[in-house]
Amino acid sequence: MTSINKFNTHIIGKPFEYHQPTTVEEATKLLADLTDVKVLAGGTDLIPKMKQRLLEPKNIVNLKKIKALEGIKETDKGIWIGAATKLRAIERSELIKEKIPLQYLATKTIGSVQIRNMGTLAGNVCNASPAADGALGLVAQDSIIHIAGSKGTRDVPITEFFTGPGAIVLEKDEIVTGFTVPIMDKDTGYHFISIGRMALDISTISIAVTVTKKDGKVAKATVALGSVAPTPLRLPEVEAFLKGKSLSDDVIWEAAEMVSNGIKPITDVRASAEYRKEAAKGMAMEAIKLAWTKEAQQ
Amino acid sequence: MSKSQSFNVLGRDTQRQDGVAKVTGREKYASDLALPHMLHARILKSPYPHARVKNIDSSKITDPTVFTLTPDEVPDVTFCPRLVSVPSSTYKDWKVLTDKPRYVGEPVVAVAAESEEEAQAAIEAISVEYEQLSAVYDVFDSMKPETEPIHSDIMLADDWIKIENNIACSLDITEGDPEEGFKEADYIVEDTYRTNRRYHTQMETKSVLARPEPDGGVTIWSTTQTLHNTRILLHEIFGIPMGKIRIIKVPLGGSFGSSIQVNPPIPIAVALALKSQRPVRLSYTREEDLHDHCSYQMVFKLKLGAKKDGTLVAGHLDAYLDIGGHQIQAYPLLGCVVGWWVSLYKLPHKSYMGKAVYTNKVPACAFRGYGNPQITWVVETMMDALANKIGIDPVDFRLMNYIGEGDLFWGQGPSVQSIIESCGVEEILKTGAEMSGWYERPRAEDQTGRYRRGIGMGRGYHTSSAGAPVPGSVVDFGGAMLKLNEDGTFDYISALMDHGGGTMDAHTKIIAEELSVPEYMVNIVRADTGTTVYDVCTHASRGIYSGGGAALKVAGQVKEKIRAAAARSLDAYAHALRFKWDPERKQAVVYAQGVAGREITLKELAYEMRHKNLGTIAAVDSYRQPACPPHFTGYFVEVEVDTWTGKVRLVRVIAGADVGTVINPKLAMGQVHGGFSQGWSMTVNEDMTFDPRSGDLWNHGFMSDYKIPTPLDMPNLDDFYVFFADTYEPTGPFGAKGLGEGALNPVAGAIANAIQNALGVRFFDLPITKDRVLEALREKEA
Repeated sequence: MTSINKFNTHIIGKPFEYHQPTTVEEATKLLADLTDVKVLAGGTDLIPKMKQRLLEPKNIVNLKKIKALEGIKETDKGIWIGAATKLRAIERSELIKEKIPLQYLATKTIGSVQIRNMGTLAGNVCNASPAADGALGLVAQDSIIHIAGSKGTRDVPITEFFTGPGAIVLEKDEIVTGFTVPIMDKDTGYHFISIGRMALDISTISIAVTVTKKDGKVAKATVALGSVAPTPLRLPEVEAFLKGKSLSDDVIWEAAEMVSNGIKPITDVRASAEYRKEAAKGMAMEAIKLAWTKEAQQ
Repeated sequence: MSKSQSFNVLGRDTQRQDGVAKVTGREKYASDLALPHMLHARILKSPYPHARVKNIDSSKITDPTVFTLTPDEVPDVTFCPRLVSVPSSTYKDWKVLTDKPRYVGEPVVAVAAESEEEAQAAIEAISVEYEQLSAVYDVFDSMKPETEPIHSDIMLADDWIKIENNIACSLDITEGDPEEGFKEADYIVEDTYRTNRRYHTQMETKSVLARPEPDGGVTIWSTTQTLHNTRILLHEIFGIPMGKIRIIKVPLGGSFGSSIQVNPPIPIAVALALKSQRPVRLSYTREEDLHDHCSYQMVFKLKLGAKKDGTLVAGHLDAYLDIGGHQIQAYPLLGCVVGWWVSLYKLPHKSYMGKAVYTNKVPACAFRGYGNPQITWVVETMMDALANKIGIDPVDFRLMNYIGEGDLFWGQGPSVQSIIESCGVEEILKTGAEMSGWYERPRAEDQTGRYRRGIGMGRGYHTSSAGAPVPGSVVDFGGAMLKLNEDGTFDYISALMDHGGGTMDAHTKIIAEELSVPEYMVNIVRADTGTTVYDVCTHASRGIYSGGGAALKVAGQVKEKIRAAAARSLDAYAHALRFKWDPERKQAVVYAQGVAGREITLKELAYEMRHKNLGTIAAVDSYRQPACPPHFTGYFVEVEVDTWTGKVRLVRVIAGADVGTVINPKLAMGQVHGGFSQGWSMTVNEDMTFDPRSGDLWNHGFMSDYKIPTPLDMPNLDDFYVFFADTYEPTGPFGAKGLGEGALNPVAGAIANAIQNALGVRFFDLPITKDRVLEALREKEA
């Protein structure tokens, strides 16, 4: 944390150069050429950090003028969401609600309407906060992240994208261009729960679950938790436990206890570690049960 | 029969005069204002919770246009920023800038530059050498003899006094014989309670624009609840004659008590303006504002004794107030805490030991309710517990013991007392109980499963003003001016500050009622210290009762003058003339009933007086209200507790308020909604916690980690029912009393009792967070 006399949230204390590319190629070239550079999308994480003087980049590359980074469409691989698509646009998209409804649930709890009007999905992901609800939805759905750099493009599964607290696999010259989320099939149930201190808050703890049912048993399950580890966390051992089982309340309770035991949260200003472990159990119980029974589905 | 009267203007929803400006964003607040050649000020704040400034080096500031201000350059005056009490109750320990910071964030150096950016750069170029001193964050640690003294010598009135064991001040009171009283008690309960520290989260941060005048004076636009006390304090610090200090009224973006004291940026900006001879604006960032003020954290040890039949007999209260690094109003608060306590329920025998203690934290100040929400949470929790112990219904227990009509009420500590003449407690409790299904509410022991429902109630009150039949230690009077304009409208001029709740509009309605015109015929003039008579401060829920009382007084005088002038004009007897509103002419008409042609509109009268050189009809006067009538409130709250996540959800709220005559029902309901929302947050959410490693706030002042509720956290309005008791306060303007603080005071008690009703667990620390709920459930099961 910076000194009390350095942050002045009326202003951005350090001057910077502002660059505004209109194509991905232009953007990645700028990133390759410039030193001490940060990309700006919605700005809801970057600007506060600059005001707090936690970041003092000499160069800012604004991605908002790149048309190719915006939009939501169906492809043969799933639903493509452009990196700079506003969270509010995702929340209001009928396509998202219909085809990947878990992502709708994971988006509508982010910040406030005002934040979602500004913030983008790639920003939510690249900020690499363990509390990012949008990222958690992508993590629970085995989404793919599309990346472009000055030397070409590549795809990375989201589960391999986060390398540590605030750390991601992007190289200096790379930006995220979009996400592909597999379309949720009709046999899959899902649920998302986020708990904050008040309704408008980042998550104290959050959980995203999918359960695909075949012949009365779990064919596949994904369980992902936010704010319980340095990165959004998948729990493969819980997923493996659920697979092949018919989910009675007892089985779900056992899985919920595995969730609680499988996380190592910290105590911070939002809640204690003990709280998070305890709440995770109840949240997992509810989320897995509702994903299994599809009771809360629209 | 209804006690309320039939009114023309009062009791109806009317539009606020500042409504359009506010909803369109055209209203200008202190932080919005700018002047030609204005400098921007910034403050260098102490990064340490307790230190001595050894050296200040500004030599690295390269910009020659920057002005700096160090502790050596400000007047050597020790003051108290709050001037509401008489001198003998005013403890002074503040300087404009300090060379011995006592909390992280205390202003040490100030700069003024051509832009905010340049001012910021100058702050970063200054290096200050500190000698760090050991710091203390807990009242009990602070009182230990070995603890580093936070203050050694401070002033009481004009005398220096010694501070020992960091006890800022104390107050002990005994009435009756508590020892004997407790012997009479069949049941005694005793517990220790600790409240939270809350930030006011007023919308506008502390801000000031100061313009030096060529005659040596200064003109001020600032966030404040008191124009005249700001002027007095600046006169005391800077020695400028009062007539040359002009404090201009600007709309206040909320306050909740945080501007009863003159805000620290104001004298700093004045000093910079005098030094630079340029206008200076200093507007705190939100982060600085969180380092500027908060509510008083209190630790209470309360003991109550009752007889088998449910009669309270004795009580004892120990109160420890954590005041932070400076005194703002600790001593008056010690008196108020005991006053709020003993005015809730009849206690024939009672004793009180109150101590206000310095800690190295952000200075605490009044926050809506002034200690009342804190002590009422404790008393209402304990009344619930005691009722259960005796086996009496908690509502019945309260009805047996409450202080109401005919009883003595302490409106602002032991020196401000009057007899209650209007009381809606019984109506509030009986109606609330009936509407909430109180007597059929669930019992904790019958509930199982994940979600548990509970209904709780709490009652309370707050004073309306610090008025009384005789002078006490609190200054409380106001004044107003009213004049008849040549078109039959009126100009209303008052120094009283509206926090944003519509107080000045309420005054126009009181004046309009008296003069038989619609409220829009009374224009609110934005005045200043030079054009108004003294008003103490908008605090103590006195805006309507006191300020409205002053407005009514001058309206009555104007009415008599109109009567006399009209009598002369109409050749009629003044005392026989009547007033009515004529909607066709859009004029108030003065007339002799039944006599054709003997009538005149106010416009005609004012014109005639102008043309015959008879003068302006106007009145200006001061007004001291004769009492401090409590406005009573009560809440019945239903909650649902999720035992898996610890989350408490509001299901239903039933709120009753006795405010005497209701001036504007929607705004009054808004006060109740707002008070409840703040109380909800106090109960389950807010706390300004400190990091003992750095002495700074855990959140470093960032609102992202200081949450307050939004409408999404409140029940739907369909599930939030507000009703007003049918009462009339004989000493109030048209029967009106206050409401602002009473709307908050009983909320925490009601919610805590609802949680107890759901879970069978009592909480002795605020806030009752999800964390604490789960922890308590774990302990209960173990």
